[in-house]
Amino acid sequence: MALVSGAGGPGIGKRTYAFLRSIPTWALWLLVVLWTIPTLGLLVNSFRTRDAQRSSGWWHSPFENYAENLTLANYTDILTAGAQGGLWRALLNSLAIALPATVIPIAFAAFAAYAFAWIDFKGREWLFIATVSLLAIPAQMSLIPLLQLYSGGGHLTLPFIEKTLTLFPDLDLTGRAISVWLTHTGFALPFAIFLLHNYISGLPKDIFESAFIDGADHFKIFWRLVVPLSVPVLAAFAIFQFLWTYNDYLIAVTMLGGAGHNFPATARIAALAGEFGQAEHLLTAGAFLSTLLPIIVFFALQRFFVTGILAGSVKG
Amino acid sequence: MVGILNTVINLLTAAGIGAGAAFLIYRGGRRSVTRRAVAALSGVVLGAASLWGVIAVEKLETTARGVVVSIAASALIFIAANKLFDLTPDRWSVFTTLMGGGGAFLVYAMLWGNRAIDDPVLRTAAATLIGAAAGYLLGTVDGKRARLAIGTGAGAALGALAASGMRRVILIFEREEGPLELWPVLPNLDYGVLIGLTLAGAALGLLSRLVRRRRTALVRPVILWASVGFFIGAWCLPTLGTGTKAEALAAAIVTGAGFGAVLGLKPIPDAQHRGRIEVASRAYIFLLPALGFIAATLIVPTLRTLFLSFHDTHGREFVGGINYRDIFTSSNIFDAAGWPGIFTSRLFIAGAALVLIGLLAAVLAGRRSGYLMSLSPGTAGAAGLGVFLVATAAFAALRGTVFNNLWWVFTVTIIATAAGLAIAVLADRAKWESLAKSLIFMPMAISFVGAGVIWRFMYLARDVSKPQTGVLNTLWVGIGNLSLSRGPGFFLTVIVILAAAALLVRLAVRAWRADERTVGVGAAVCALPLIWFAFALWRGIGGFEVRDNGDVVASTIQFVQRSPFNNVWLMLVLIWIQTGFTMVIFSAAIKAVPADLLEAAEVDGASESQTFWRVVIPQIAPTIGVVVTTLIVLVMKVFDIVKVMTNGNFDTQVIANEMWQRAFTELNFGLGSALAVVLFAAVLPILYLNIRRMQKAAA
Repeated sequence: MALVSGAGGPGIGKRTYAFLRSIPTWALWLLVVLWTIPTLGLLVNSFRTRDAQRSSGWWHSPFENYAENLTLANYTDILTAGAQGGLWRALLNSLAIALPATVIPIAFAAFAAYAFAWIDFKGREWLFIATVSLLAIPAQMSLIPLLQLYSGGGHLTLPFIEKTLTLFPDLDLTGRAISVWLTHTGFALPFAIFLLHNYISGLPKDIFESAFIDGADHFKIFWRLVVPLSVPVLAAFAIFQFLWTYNDYLIAVTMLGGAGHNFPATARIAALAGEFGQAEHLLTAGAFLSTLLPIIVFFALQRFFVTGILAGSVKG
Repeated sequence: MVGILNTVINLLTAAGIGAGAAFLIYRGGRRSVTRRAVAALSGVVLGAASLWGVIAVEKLETTARGVVVSIAASALIFIAANKLFDLTPDRWSVFTTLMGGGGAFLVYAMLWGNRAIDDPVLRTAAATLIGAAAGYLLGTVDGKRARLAIGTGAGAALGALAASGMRRVILIFEREEGPLELWPVLPNLDYGVLIGLTLAGAALGLLSRLVRRRRTALVRPVILWASVGFFIGAWCLPTLGTGTKAEALAAAIVTGAGFGAVLGLKPIPDAQHRGRIEVASRAYIFLLPALGFIAATLIVPTLRTLFLSFHDTHGREFVGGINYRDIFTSSNIFDAAGWPGIFTSRLFIAGAALVLIGLLAAVLAGRRSGYLMSLSPGTAGAAGLGVFLVATAAFAALRGTVFNNLWWVFTVTIIATAAGLAIAVLADRAKWESLAKSLIFMPMAISFVGAGVIWRFMYLARDVSKPQTGVLNTLWVGIGNLSLSRGPGFFLTVIVILAAAALLVRLAVRAWRADERTVGVGAAVCALPLIWFAFALWRGIGGFEVRDNGDVVASTIQFVQRSPFNNVWLMLVLIWIQTGFTMVIFSAAIKAVPADLLEAAEVDGASESQTFWRVVIPQIAPTIGVVVTTLIVLVMKVFDIVKVMTNGNFDTQVIANEMWQRAFTELNFGLGSALAVVLFAAVLPILYLNIRRMQKAAA
């Protein structure tokens, strides 16, 4: 789409006109450069010594004495140093949170999406709309009660007799990764159901009918037909959810609270950013390491990720 | 044994990861020999790597074990439930046996878990057997009377079994972790209330049948509802723990017998009915795991947060709306005192002027075409920019958490949407389109925390005596030095800028004469800031200040600290992230515009900009709506960026961070919940819109 009309009036001149036609491309690449600079600067600075970082901007790096100013020490320091076992441990914690928090909701959401799409039952439509409309509820609305549930169990105080009935025992889950999994699972389900339902309900009806005629029940159809056919959308959701949970900070820092040794990378970096001063040169390496895996996943599997985002938004 | 189990689980995990990756890569596109090889190879590599990781790293080992065990457990429950309901059409008595045993087990497990009965293991086992036996009999015996007797008898037996285990005294078991208290549950029956509630229940059952106009099978609902009434009267209203064993026995036996009789009165369903049960049960088996999770993590907590928001710090005493009053009377959270300042700010004046110019131009254009006013993209853009500036001026003057949050929503939503649309248009059909889009989309993969750190280095302001290392302040101080130097560089810069401006003006004049009005106006508008910049450079602009004694010293912009516009600099971080999201969606939407529409426009002689505004924009309008609502919800909850960059200091507090601080650092759950409810209320209209949209889509 160009900014000037197609004809190219005689008054402007051919060369000017060609120049005008190229403006969108120039503008696009200018924006791309602007968008990339912040990340690039962080990457370059993360390989520079503390003194170099403090005495000149990262763009000086190509013109400096490499041997003197470039180092891997920031990375080795941040990975191993620190009271809580270094960033290495935090990165593992991130994985330990993100992988289960990705796998668990997929299974549940696939079941539910299949039921909403292909099993006929009373109240299906409104139940689906009610479920998916929960998408917009802010996580903040659940944080306090969930933390209380994980730290003290779930109790129902019965009216009139002032007895407390325990519905969910106190398992002392706060500070442990499982509390973060459970929370992420619950929060992810409305979106996951919505996304998978869009796809699964669009599968051709014939295959279900012929499978029914062949005597398959819902259980078999789900495993033999729906799951294999839904691999693209399952992958799309998995990538979306992995990036989301790996990058999450709010839920991790709330549920893990004081258990710093269980903090994921985001929470550790945030804590590090809070301590001003000495460690600032390490922050560059830390921030880059913590975004490394998501960026790799993103570039390697971008197609699925885009599919997920599009299915979640455009079709809505 | 445990060691072997761990090894097995580790191997399974590694194999699962490898196979999963191989499968994904294999299914991901066209199948060819290379693809197969790549899939197999990466499966093996990933599997080996994860095996190493799982064995070498204790953290991963425990995690993997947890995941494998929980997945296996869920799968087992799911498969078992499915298999259970597979029995309904052909093997009804097996199904009822399992259901009877399972139901009794669940009820007793609940009593056990709440420590209401003695010898819980023995009693639960016995109850499971009784339940299973009753289930089997009810699934096979056909006679009406016999069924009633079986149901009532089994129910009464189960009740008696529970009641005989209840003690009046508080039993304390000594355990390692501390004393375990046995619940005193013997009810102190009030017979008047009991009979009244039972009769009320019976009446309700009768009524429910009459209302539905089904006069057949009156007995069952009457007994069912009478039993419910009796249960409430016997177990929920009286003081528990002060009654006698006889009372407990009576209460439990009657309750059990009542519910048992209801089951006994039901005849064995015929084949057709069983088929219906089977189908209906599938829906619930497939839905229950997800809906259970949603109820536990979203619905019940939301209700509890509402409840807590009307209570004191610890959620004990009802305090009415005091928490809400505190929010809207606190000057930190809600401060509109600065409103007169809106009208004197330069932003407001510039914005109002732009609005006037835009409207004036529209009216002038309208006189030519005979309308009251004719809005073109140019005039509408000027007026829109003016409105944006006026709103920014207003938000800069109104302080406090709530206004900050609204400012975020306003600015980020508008700029991220506009920028995403613009980039999508620019990139459409450009060379290397996908690379450009990938690079702009990449920040979406970076956490908000990481983005906050990245931008902190962009905004860095160091002591002016040292060289600046942040990009923006380096530029700012550099411009200041250039402007002050009056050396050859300065003059060269001014001349280049003025020359560029002159070229643009020449182009504008030529285009206007050639009747290319859009180009003409565009070139003129682009020339204006260049001329302004040359002038400003001449007068002195950039990072320096003049002291009273005439000395000139460098100065930096404290992007993060200087209120109120530090808010805008924080918003820029979120815009940087979210523009990729909006761009990707708009890009897809633009590509989805039907080609014949575009061709028709071209045939009719529409210019590209006309095609864009009159054809493409209306076509993607629903997408714009979706993007805007998604962004509003997301921005309303902004937390991480503020937390990392300022932690709400320097007048940058937002509701989510305020809520977090009140609730989790001050442990004021009442106020924290009220703030969460405010956030919730703010997204309610969006929730409503989404529901409406889905209802339309469903219809």
